[in-house]
Amino acid sequence: MPVPFEALLPFGIIAAMFTVTGTGLTTVRYFANDRKPGRFNVDTFDKAMMERDRRLTGSTRGQSTEPVAPAAFATNR
Amino acid sequence: MATHLSSGFTKTEFVDNTPLPENIPKVDEVGATSAPLKSASFFIGQYCKAYNEDFMLCKAENNDPEHCLKEGRKVTRCAIDLITKLRENCGKEFDAHWQCLENHNQELYACRKPERTFNTCVFEKLGLEKKIPGTPEGFEQIHNKENPVIRNQFK
Repeated sequence: MPVPFEALLPFGIIAAMFTVTGTGLTTVRYFANDRKPGRFNVDTFDKAMMERDRRLTGSTRGQSTEPVAPAAFATNR
Repeated sequence: MATHLSSGFTKTEFVDNTPLPENIPKVDEVGATSAPLKSASFFIGQYCKAYNEDFMLCKAENNDPEHCLKEGRKVTRCAIDLITKLRENCGKEFDAHWQCLENHNQELYACRKPERTFNTCVFEKLGLEKKIPGTPEGFEQIHNKENPVIRNQFK
């Protein structure tokens, strides 16, 4: 007897729904993180570094290689 | 994070009304953010070893911030110096490595290829070599290992 594909259609539909949800969430996270993959497992040290990055660049995922910080960095928050 | 602001936007330039005393020399802060710093971390550790150790020993004596300002200034200036040198000499490899780190949750194991090119460039131009202290005898450095076994560290 051939494979009953009609029975597998609901599985396919449900899998597609999960995929769409997962992709949608990942995409939103991607755009929220300055078009970079999101950070996970962020501990207190990483949080403190990201806060410092925000003070230096304006965004928690912004990066810069300037050796000397801008003058505002001394007093901003 | 931010403390409560008593006023809204300011129309004048911000003036610090509690500045440091005049007798304390001014030092520029390091402007590099987390990913470039992580990328350069082992080189900063090697290049600035003397100043860093001075600072840590000074802090171990007395944890008061005022006690170790001088050593702290030296640490900052050394780091600024090295970052300037890295940008000048190995700028492209440096950028490649920290941008890879940014795309991989700042995990070093995920970016060994750009790291290798960066390390060879730094070794050629600046003579600094990344060594992980505390590697047991007979084990090669983890970043040089071909085909390492990467698995969940929480198992």
